Amino acid sequence: MSTETRTVMVRMRNVYKYFGQLRALNNVSLDIYDGEKVVVIGPSGSGKSTMLRSINKLETVDAGDIIVDGININDEKTNINRVREEIGMVFQSFNVFPHMTVRENLNLAQMVVRKRTKEEAAAISKELLTKVGILEKADQYPGKLSGGQQQRVAIARALAMKPKLMLFDEPTSALDPEMINEVLDVMKKLAKEGMTMIVVTHEMGFAREVADRVIFMDFGAIIEEGTPEHFFKNPTEERTKLFLSQIL
Amino acid sequence: MAQIKSNKAQTRKTVIAIGDGPAIPSKKDAGLFTAWRVSLVGAIAIIAFLVTFKQDPYLAILKFVPDGILITFQVTVESIILALVIGLFTGLGRISKNRIINGIASVYVEVIRGIPLLVQLFYIYFALGRVVNLPAMVSAIIAMGICYGAYMGEIFRAGIESIHKGQMEAARSLGMTNAQAMRHVILPQAFKTILPPIGNEFVALLKDSSLVSILAVSDLLRRGREFASQSFNYFETYTMVALVYLVITLFLSKIVSIMEERISVD
Repeated sequence: MSTETRTVMVRMRNVYKYFGQLRALNNVSLDIYDGEKVVVIGPSGSGKSTMLRSINKLETVDAGDIIVDGININDEKTNINRVREEIGMVFQSFNVFPHMTVRENLNLAQMVVRKRTKEEAAAISKELLTKVGILEKADQYPGKLSGGQQQRVAIARALAMKPKLMLFDEPTSALDPEMINEVLDVMKKLAKEGMTMIVVTHEMGFAREVADRVIFMDFGAIIEEGTPEHFFKNPTEERTKLFLSQIL
Repeated sequence: MAQIKSNKAQTRKTVIAIGDGPAIPSKKDAGLFTAWRVSLVGAIAIIAFLVTFKQDPYLAILKFVPDGILITFQVTVESIILALVIGLFTGLGRISKNRIINGIASVYVEVIRGIPLLVQLFYIYFALGRVVNLPAMVSAIIAMGICYGAYMGEIFRAGIESIHKGQMEAARSLGMTNAQAMRHVILPQAFKTILPPIGNEFVALLKDSSLVSILAVSDLLRRGREFASQSFNYFETYTMVALVYLVITLFLSKIVSIMEERISVD
């Protein structure tokens, strides 16, 4: 990979984050390039989600710089809302809006934030609902949908903003096993289209198939990173080996 | 010592929540539902009986008070609207991370809750009346609105806090401002939770509105007092007034409970 010619989408430098005494992020530095698919793995409590959430400032870090698409998000002058428009986020617990139909879930931020007209928004929503295979549910309320369907709505809702970067925070962890693949398939499709993606997950099959790079975190720090090939065949660090032996 | 402390913490968890509004009858609570029916049928039956068989003075009383019922409703509705507006901003203030806004809202709630409504009415009409001379009706509505606004603020706060924090995170991560997320995502959901307690407050406010009769506002109680002082039929008049209040509040609490059921179905 000739990384020199590619633009950096996310740059983290010496990032620290504390929850009381707990060091949730311990000197994390990382570059993620435009179009790259990065999968973050690690035991629970290792700081994966915190790192992901710090990229769109759902968590404010205590030290270090985070630069997204050239904008330092911890700069006081930065309007974080403008940065978040460009970053799609998918949560473990879906967080679809239960008081709105699927279609309205997709339309809302397009109209309120992107200032698109109702017709423009509706057209984009329709296209994305088709893409995630859920157009026939457009006028249903999320409560009537399965977990897998809700998560696909959440992905479509994030994509409707036409983001430059997508963050996935354990998107399949709250799903029943038979629904995991329908969500992973959507994510794979997205990866093929060249979306920049950072995915926190326990789905090693997905990591192996989709990731350009796998990052292993433990105790708030990046322990090891490399291609899936390297990772699953010859991990170098003891902790990585131990973790992989436990889950594979 | 630590043992005692943890015991204390445990006993504190047992919260007995009793609002100051009326018990709202619901079909799930069969006993209370029956009591509601018995009270309503009983009250109406007694009114009908008295008006039919003891026309003097009961029929005269019943003809004299309806003007007051309208005033009572006017005071109640206008106060509740004011209270809702104040309550919304107070609730938002109470959850604000801005210390000054939060402080103002919290102090307002504590001060208002610490002063009896009757004293507040006196204060706004008689004490502030020295500075700005407001009509009795306006003073009454402002005083009731400010007082109930504090309680309403707590209802709004609780309603907003009852919405899962993931909803706010999802809205914010789509680029919405805090205000946009509140307006489009949080408040519409919170509204469902807070509608029943608001209905409760409405009924409670209607009852408390009888206090404004002190300020020469001709509400239901005041009309009764006027009738009684002319005719000296104190017992008969206040019996009738009490029965009319009872019928109104029983009807209103029924409406609130129907509303609540409708919402929980959706």
